[in-house]
Amino acid sequence: MSRTSAKNDERSSNANATALISYLLGGLAFWGAVGWAVDRALGFSGLFLPIGLGVGLVGSIYLIYAQYVRS
Amino acid sequence: MGADVSVVAASESGCHLFGDGCGFEAPTVGSLFFPTPWVDFGLAGTSGLTKYYLVAVVALIVAASFWYFTTRRAKVVPGRGQSVAELLVGFLRDQVTRTTMGKEGDKYLPLMVTLFLFIFCMNVMGIIPGLQLPVTSNLAFPAVLALFIFILWNVVGIRRHGVGAHFKARLVPGGVPGWILPVVVPIEALSNFVIRPATHMIRLFATMFAGHLLLALFAAAGFYMFNPTSPMGPLFGAISVGYSGIALLGFLVFTAFELFIMAVQAYVFVLLSSIYLGEAMEGAH
Repeated sequence: MSRTSAKNDERSSNANATALISYLLGGLAFWGAVGWAVDRALGFSGLFLPIGLGVGLVGSIYLIYAQYVRS
Repeated sequence: MGADVSVVAASESGCHLFGDGCGFEAPTVGSLFFPTPWVDFGLAGTSGLTKYYLVAVVALIVAASFWYFTTRRAKVVPGRGQSVAELLVGFLRDQVTRTTMGKEGDKYLPLMVTLFLFIFCMNVMGIIPGLQLPVTSNLAFPAVLALFIFILWNVVGIRRHGVGAHFKARLVPGGVPGWILPVVVPIEALSNFVIRPATHMIRLFATMFAGHLLLALFAAAGFYMFNPTSPMGPLFGAISVGYSGIALLGFLVFTAFELFIMAVQAYVFVLLSSIYLGEAMEGAH
């Protein structure tokens, strides 16, 4: 690997790290919030929140796999 | 208002190690990062005119003066000042815009160079005696810069690909089967339109905030531990001076380290901005 391409890889890995964190936070925040809202709407306590967090985590990991591993 | 204020506060309390029993008062976030406004407009959610504004103006004047004095008599064979300016421009062109946007990125080079120097000047104000306040340790300043880049990212994408294609590229990830889109589109939306600009601003803010707090702590601890006339005797007085010397050494070492971090964070902010713009130009990923 040339010196220039090694530097470019370093830069893209910096951006990728930011993107991975964004995906993980986004998945947990959005689907966790949906789960919490469903809990509140249906009068449950802590039933849909963990389901939402699980969906968010799986969705985030799938997105990371599809965007950065498989490609 | 900065490390100077925390030392003044420590000196006013009169507390010293091996003194009359009162303990160390660490500098607080309130005293460091929420200066008393000189002019208060009385508007909810506003801070009034504070030291941040003064230091931001000083940073702006320093950055503008740098360009004025280094380029006002530009020659083919550059002088010392012009060489430094050219070195900075060449570095950011080769290491940031060209590697993230290719030759097309050259039109964004003036923006990136200006942004880098302005952020670096705002950061470096944290170690300038008398000012000692990194402007970017106030969330509002990195927030405005990150918001500007976020808006520009959208403008560049829309102008290049059109509204539909730009937002489709940012909302619908490529290579994903249709049945999973309801799960991943909201994640992609939140990630691109909320979390990414938020992390862009928080990265700069948090490093400057923490670095300034650390320096203030060393300064205040050095003052607290300096007690050569300790009532407990000359031995304890000598020990306190030794401890204070260690804190002073830590202050100097961390000041040098902080200067490095200030440059790195300005570079990282500009690099990420450039990567985002390059991505908007590229379109779908």
